[in-house]
Amino acid sequence: MKNKFRNLPIQLKMTAITLMANLLVLAVNLVLLIGINGMSSRIDGVYQVNMQLNELSAMLDEVQINMEEYLNTKTSDSLETFYIYEQDFSQLADELSDDISSNTIKRTQRLIKNMSQLYLDKADQTIEAKRGRNVEKYRARYEETTKLYGYIKNMIDTLNNEQFKENSQNYRRVINAFRTFETAANFVMVIVILINALLILRLTASIIRPLKELKGLADEVSKGNFEIEPIKVRAMDEIGVVSTAFNQMVISIQEYIEKMRESAEIEKEHEAKELMMEAHLKDAQLKYLQAQINPHFLFNTLNAGAQLAMLEGADRTYEYVQVMAEFFRYNVKKGDQIVTIGEEIALIDKYIYILNVRFSGDINYVKEVDESLLKVEMPSMILQPIVENCVNHGIREMMGEGVITVKVFTQGGDIACISIEDNGAGMNEETVERLRKGKGTERTSKEFNGIGMDNVMARLKLFENSDDVMSIESEEGKGSRFTIYLDINEDIREE
Amino acid sequence: MKEKMKKRNLLGIWVTLAALICVSGVLMFIFVSYSKSLGQQEISKEYDKYYVMIADDPKASLWQSVYESAFNAGLDQNIYVEMLSDRFSENYTKYQLMEIAIASKVDGIILSADESDEMTQLINSAMKKKIPVVTVFSDNANSARISFVGIGNYNLGKEYGNLISELSEAGNSQYRTIKVSVLVDSNSRDSSQNVLYAAIQEAVEEDSRKHPYSHSPISLSLYSVDATNRFSVEESVRGLLQKKDDLPDVVVCLNEIDTTSVYQAVVDYNEVGKISILGYYDSEAILKGIERNVIYSTISVDTAQLGQFSIDALNEYHEMGNTSQYFTADVSIIKKSNVSAHLKEGATDEE
Repeated sequence: MKNKFRNLPIQLKMTAITLMANLLVLAVNLVLLIGINGMSSRIDGVYQVNMQLNELSAMLDEVQINMEEYLNTKTSDSLETFYIYEQDFSQLADELSDDISSNTIKRTQRLIKNMSQLYLDKADQTIEAKRGRNVEKYRARYEETTKLYGYIKNMIDTLNNEQFKENSQNYRRVINAFRTFETAANFVMVIVILINALLILRLTASIIRPLKELKGLADEVSKGNFEIEPIKVRAMDEIGVVSTAFNQMVISIQEYIEKMRESAEIEKEHEAKELMMEAHLKDAQLKYLQAQINPHFLFNTLNAGAQLAMLEGADRTYEYVQVMAEFFRYNVKKGDQIVTIGEEIALIDKYIYILNVRFSGDINYVKEVDESLLKVEMPSMILQPIVENCVNHGIREMMGEGVITVKVFTQGGDIACISIEDNGAGMNEETVERLRKGKGTERTSKEFNGIGMDNVMARLKLFENSDDVMSIESEEGKGSRFTIYLDINEDIREE
Repeated sequence: MKEKMKKRNLLGIWVTLAALICVSGVLMFIFVSYSKSLGQQEISKEYDKYYVMIADDPKASLWQSVYESAFNAGLDQNIYVEMLSDRFSENYTKYQLMEIAIASKVDGIILSADESDEMTQLINSAMKKKIPVVTVFSDNANSARISFVGIGNYNLGKEYGNLISELSEAGNSQYRTIKVSVLVDSNSRDSSQNVLYAAIQEAVEEDSRKHPYSHSPISLSLYSVDATNRFSVEESVRGLLQKKDDLPDVVVCLNEIDTTSVYQAVVDYNEVGKISILGYYDSEAILKGIERNVIYSTISVDTAQLGQFSIDALNEYHEMGNTSQYFTADVSIIKKSNVSAHLKEGATDEE
C-alpha cells in the first residue's frame, strides 16, 4: 500500500495529499454538522408538544363555540361546522397517548383523551336534546358539557404551562450545550488543521528529501568526486527515476574513466614494447654485423692472404692486403681507446692507400704535419670518418683530380689543430650547419656502414669537455675544410 | 547520530499526530454522545393501573406524605398514583376533582371525603362506573365507597382524654375548673368528630371518677371552627382567644390547620404557658412548637400506613371484588419528652 503510494507520480501524490487533508476536514465537518443538526432538531422538538396541545385546545374551543352557536341559533350551518370540528377534535384526541406512563405528558394525554371522549358524547347528547326540543334535558347536558370543557381546557393549559416551563429549561440547556459544542467543534477543527499541516509537512518532506539528496550528490559529482554512495531510491516516482538515472550516470562515468585509464596504460605498454623491440633488433643487427665482419677473423684471413701473396711474389697484392689487414687491426685494437694523433694519421695513410688501390689512384694525399704534435692524445676513429666523408661527398662527386690535405699544426702552443681539406664539391650552408650541430648527413643507417659525423662530433665533445672542438668551412664547388682543435697535454709540451 | 536524531524526530511527529487524532476523536465522541443524550426524554415506564388521590389540602405535609407512601406502594405493584390536583393550575374543589376523576375513567380514587350528600352522590356515581373509591382520613359512611382508611377515633379520643387528665393533675394546686375547648368543624357532619368527642368525654369522666380529689374538675366544651373557605379557620381560632375573660385552659385540635393556627394565635396573644394545646399531626412547625413548650402534645399518624392501606384496599377490590370496610392506621403521642426523635426523623425524611 505504502510502496504503491510511493511509486505514484508526484502530481498524483500531491493531489492525494491535498485530497486526504480535505477529506479529513470534510469528515470532521460532517460529524460536527450531524451533531449540530441533531441539536437543532432537538430545539425544534422542544416546542412540538406545545404546538400539538395548542392545536388540540383550539379545536376544543371550536367544538364548544359551535355547539353553543347551535344551541343559540339552531342553524344547520353551525351544526355542520360543529360536526366537522367534532370530527377533527375526535381525531386529534384519538392520536393522544393511551399509556399510563411515568411521563407526565403521556399520562395527562390519557386523561385528556378519556375526558374528551366523554365530552364529545355529552356534546352529542346535548345537540340531540336540542334537536328533540327537550329544553330541560339539553340545558342540563349543556351544563355538564361546559363543565367538562372547562376541566379539559384547564388540564391542557396546565400541561402546556408545565411543558413550557420544562421546555424553556431544556431549551436553555440545549442552547448552552450548543455553545459548548461550537467551542469544542472549533477546537477540533483547529486540531484537525494542525494534523493536516503536520501530515502535509511529513508527506511533502518525504517527496522533497530525495531531491535534496540528489542535489547534494550532484554537487559532489560536479566537484569531481565520483566515489560517492549511490542515492537510495525509495520510490519509483519522477524523482526516483531521475535518481536511478543519476546513479546510472555516475556509474557510467566511473566506468568510462576506468576504461580510459586502462587504454592509456595499454598504449604506454605497447610503446615501451615497441622501443624494446627496436633495441633488440638493433642489437641483433649489430650482433649479426659483428659476426659477419669479425675483425680478428678478417685480420687473420687477410694476413693469410698477405702471406700467400708474398709466397707467390705478388708484392703489390701483398702490400695491399697487408695494409688492409693493419687497417682492420687498428679498428680491432683501438676500437674505443684513446690514441695519439700519429696513430690516427697512420690510419688515414692506410685508408687513402686502400682507396687509391680501389679507385686506381684518384686521390692525391698531401700531409703537412708538425712532428712534435704526433703524440697528442685524441679519441680513436675520428679522422678516418672525416676523410671518408670528404671522399664520399667531396671528391667522389667532382670532376678532375681530388686532393685531400691533412695538416697538423699548433695554435698558440697549447692547442693542436688537425685540418682535413678536400677540393671536392663542397657542401651547401644547410649541410654545413647540420654538421656543425652534430646531426650527421641525411643518409639512413642501413646505407651507412661506418661511423657518422654526428658520432665523431659527440665523441670529440665528450673527450674535450667542450663544444668548440671542430670548425667546418665549405663552399660549393670549392671543397670543404674540417679543423679539429685539441688541448695539448702538459707532459707532451715539455717534451 | 544524525540518522538517530532524524528517527527520533519522526517518531515524535507520529506520536504527536496520533495523540492529536485521539484527542479530537474523543472530544468529538463525547460531544456527539452528549448532544444525543441531551434531547432524550427520561426513560418512561408504563404502568398497569392509574389511581388518583383527591385531598382537602394537597399541599399540606400530612397529605404529601400520605401521597408519597401511596405512590411508592403503587410503584411496587406497577400502579401509578397521581395527586389529581397537580394536573390543574386552577384550584378545583374535591367535588370537581371527583367529577374529573370519574370523567377521566381512572382505575381508582383515594379520596379525603366528607359526609355531604353531594359527595355521597359523586362516590356512588363513581362506583356505578366501576371506579372503586377509598376514603382516607375522613369518611363518607353513607356512600358505596369500598373502604375507609383512617385512624381509630375512639382510641384517639381516649388518648386525648388521658392527656387532659394529666393536665388537670398538674393544675391541681390552684383548685379550679379546667376549661377544655375541643375545636370541631362546624360544617362537618363527620361522625368521627362525634366519636372522638364522645371518647374524650368518656375518658375525662372516668378520670374524675378515679381521682375525685387529686384532679381538678374538667369542663369540656365544643368550639366550632368555620372551615368553609381557606382563610376562615384562622379567623375562627383567633375568635376563641379573643375572649380574654373566658380563655380555655386546654385547646384540643383535631386537624393540622387548627393546630398551626392555634399555635400561632397563642404566640401572638402572648398566652404561652397559660393555654395548653393538644395538637394534631406531626408537621415540622408543630414539632417545633412542642420543642418550644408552646404546644403540649400532638399525635403522629402513620401516614405510610394510610397510603399503603389505600392502595391495598383498591387492589384487593380489583382482584377479589370486595375488601374490608375499615383500615386503621397507628397513632402515637408526641410530647416534649420524645419530640427530639421525631424532629430528627422529620429532618431525615425531608432530605
